[in-house]
Amino acid sequence: MIGALVLALRILLVLALYAFLGWAIWTIARDLKRAGLQAKPRDIPVIRLEVRTRSGQAVSRAFTQPEVTLGRDPVCDILLDEETVSARHAKLSYHHNQWWLEDLSSTNGTNLNDARLNTATVLTSGDEIRCGNTHLIVSLGSDIIVPITRKL
Amino acid sequence: MNDQRESRLIALAAVFLFLYSAILTLAPAVREQSLNVAFRLSHWLGFAAWLLLAFLAYRVTSRLLPDRDPYLLPSALFLSGWGMLTVWRLDSGFGLRQALWLGVSVMAFAFIAFFLNDLNFLRRYKYILLSAGLALTTLTLFLGINPAGAGPRLWLGCCGVYLQPSEPLKLLLVVYLTAYLADRLPASPNFFPLLWPTIFATGIGISLLLVQRDLGTASIFIMLYTAILYLATGRGRVLLAATIGLIVAGLTGYFFIDVVRTRLDVWINPWSDPAGRAYQIVQSLLAVANGGTIGRGPGLGSPSLVPVAHSDFIFSAMAEETGLAGTFGLFAIFGLIFARGLIASLRAKDRFRRLLAAGLTAYLGLQALLIIGGNLRLFPLTGETLPFVAYGGSSLLTAFVALTLLLIISNQTDVEPVPLPSPRPYFFLAAALGLGLVAASLTNTWWSVIRSSDLLARTDNARRSIADRYVKRGSLLDRNNQPIDATEGSSGSYKRVYFYPELASVIGYTHPIFGQAGLEASLDDYLRGLQGNPSSLIWWDHLLYGTPPPGLDVRLSLDLELQRRADQLLGDSTGAIVLLNAHTGEILVMASHPNYDPNKLDKIGASLAKDSTAPLVNRAAQGTYPVGTAAVPFYSTLGEVNAPPAQQLQTLFEKLGFYTTPQLSLPVAGAAPKNETANLQVSPLQMALAAASLSNSGVRPAPRIALAVDTPQQGWVILPAQTPPVQIFPADAAAKAALQNTLQNKIYWEWTGSANSPKMPVTWYLAGTLPNWQGTPLAVVVLIEGNYPSIAQYAGQELIQAATKP
Repeated sequence: MIGALVLALRILLVLALYAFLGWAIWTIARDLKRAGLQAKPRDIPVIRLEVRTRSGQAVSRAFTQPEVTLGRDPVCDILLDEETVSARHAKLSYHHNQWWLEDLSSTNGTNLNDARLNTATVLTSGDEIRCGNTHLIVSLGSDIIVPITRKL
Repeated sequence: MNDQRESRLIALAAVFLFLYSAILTLAPAVREQSLNVAFRLSHWLGFAAWLLLAFLAYRVTSRLLPDRDPYLLPSALFLSGWGMLTVWRLDSGFGLRQALWLGVSVMAFAFIAFFLNDLNFLRRYKYILLSAGLALTTLTLFLGINPAGAGPRLWLGCCGVYLQPSEPLKLLLVVYLTAYLADRLPASPNFFPLLWPTIFATGIGISLLLVQRDLGTASIFIMLYTAILYLATGRGRVLLAATIGLIVAGLTGYFFIDVVRTRLDVWINPWSDPAGRAYQIVQSLLAVANGGTIGRGPGLGSPSLVPVAHSDFIFSAMAEETGLAGTFGLFAIFGLIFARGLIASLRAKDRFRRLLAAGLTAYLGLQALLIIGGNLRLFPLTGETLPFVAYGGSSLLTAFVALTLLLIISNQTDVEPVPLPSPRPYFFLAAALGLGLVAASLTNTWWSVIRSSDLLARTDNARRSIADRYVKRGSLLDRNNQPIDATEGSSGSYKRVYFYPELASVIGYTHPIFGQAGLEASLDDYLRGLQGNPSSLIWWDHLLYGTPPPGLDVRLSLDLELQRRADQLLGDSTGAIVLLNAHTGEILVMASHPNYDPNKLDKIGASLAKDSTAPLVNRAAQGTYPVGTAAVPFYSTLGEVNAPPAQQLQTLFEKLGFYTTPQLSLPVAGAAPKNETANLQVSPLQMALAAASLSNSGVRPAPRIALAVDTPQQGWVILPAQTPPVQIFPADAAAKAALQNTLQNKIYWEWTGSANSPKMPVTWYLAGTLPNWQGTPLAVVVLIEGNYPSIAQYAGQELIQAATKP
């Protein structure tokens, strides 16, 4: 009788030991999964920029890569060939599920909706970006999601 | 999130330890299978202390180290609690000390976390720290003591508090090596000259340990030095050089240092000297084997049979009481510590921290694997302690300091890890530790599952005689169910009592020190309940109590009344009497004089084996004596009166069974080789079986002594004779031979023969009932050492008359 009771306790003892290990391993596995998800390339919503130069020309361009640079330098994704624009003026980047606008210490600064940009800021559709004398209108295509392609 | 994980893991550890304590409390009741016992309670004090200290340690980490690794502390607390309760179970005095040392360790942990959590002080004062460690170790050469009284004097201290400086020295060596190498190595492309200080420091340490004969720690030093150098430089040559160095050191030690030689010898072949030099390791393997799959349960094994179970052999104690299920968990917890230690190392923000964390992990890992492997005979035994688990204040404190350093290193948020030029040594260390744990698991499975039953059946497994104290052994009864011996007392103090000690040489004995002999040995499986009981019952009792079920009674063919008469008749003569049922072969009397009192075995046991009168020998079955003229009554079955020629004699002796060993559940003498006639020696039992053929129409019966066993399910089950009876003469030839040797008015034939062996003369008396006898056919043989025909004749005649009396 007491033997059977103690046998039950012994089985519980083993279960407690493995519950400890199981819980530890489960949480480690969960961490790994989360880290894996963060590292996994995400689908990036298309960002569409309507570029209006001072001369009134309007060009619309769409991007699916996680980083878009603006500037006078020809390597920039959006080339703004204007004197008031710095070589590498500003950057649009997609992380933490948002598109962010960041000024790259440009000479004349970057304005978002007529406010001077000091720190990286989240963009929404209809925002207006001004770099020097160039205006850009943002439209985020949540409806058009294009899977990211690797940049060569 | 860290806090939540850590607290939940500590809570699970607490549940485990609570259950462990609860089982330990109930263990005496399970052992004695009764509730009327003294329950074990003192270890609850240890459990309470653990709870308090675990809570304290948790508060310290969550306050001071918010971003530490959440797995390290619970694992260490789990191991130290498990270890402390195991030590407590083995010896409550040591357990209390271990609980106090756990308190000191947690205080040290809090102190370091509070005041010294900037590890740069280690880096700055590395030389001072190492020198202090070396100085303390040097002091043991002059002031060293051993708290146990005898043995290597590796401790410093007084008044009941002792420190073994070689334990912290390991840690200080790791700190020194990692600090030095982290500072110097990147600066110089030519690294060999930089190593001289480290070789010097490690060399001093190793020499000190060699002088003290602390060889286990010395080998750990070599391995740690190798591991850290390899981690720091990433050069494979380091490993090669160290392997060669260890082999050379091992061989040198083998030829010049006795301890090393002993350790290596018993590692390679422990079975050749299981009672001497290999006693510890063989007992350790027996303990592991007794654990089996789920173990005997806390408090229910017999781990204290292994010498120093609380320190060097704590692993085998845990393996015995928690089984494979427990040790696999233990390995996994160690694996968790190793993995988290290495992760902390790879995530560290500077080279020193990275190297230190890896070095500390290597220190904990190597030491744990060495001693676990030593307990399992995977490696030669080194007298190291199992970190966090084994008894020993210095070891526990050192392990906790190492843990604290690991926790401090792991305490950082999203810092970019310092670049790692060659990650290979880290993977190599991880693989080595992982492989070590896998090898330990496989070896453990080998001993506790595959080889378990072989090991447990060994005669040096004292668990059998411990089980005898707690489980009632079956009785031996005579043919009228009169007890010959029985087990008396109550569970926990059962003792074998022999009611008719004159039968000692036949019945034998079962004794915790002297083992078993006679029928007690040959019928052990029935008497112990391992045979005759349903196998499910045997399995269930083994699972619940670790013992066989209650033993079964065995009924013998002996007749106590006739036996008593035979013993009186034989008196002080040296000799034997066998009386058997000539038809069935059942042995009614088997007397052998001189004999001894098995009830007094405690006192006389040691001198019995040396007694020149050989009282332990059962002269009736194990003694052999020259045949001489005792064979004459059988000659007439060949139609001759005088001695027949050798060829015919050999055929006759073969028929009489003088060349065949009687098959009986009793130790008997082996038969003589076939070509022997003139100097042939036979046992009185063989002679009695031959004589029986004259009273049984020429059929030589098969002997029987164990008649039946009282099983719980089917009642008395007959134990049949092991061989069939043999017709050796025609019935009329046997009758003629019997009648030739019959005096008028007697109801039995008889013959007195003698033999003059070179050593001593012997007297035979043979008799048997006549063919026309209406009752049970009987045959009797009396053998007296010496020339005493009248004594032999008188004893035989009286006995057969008593036996044939209606």
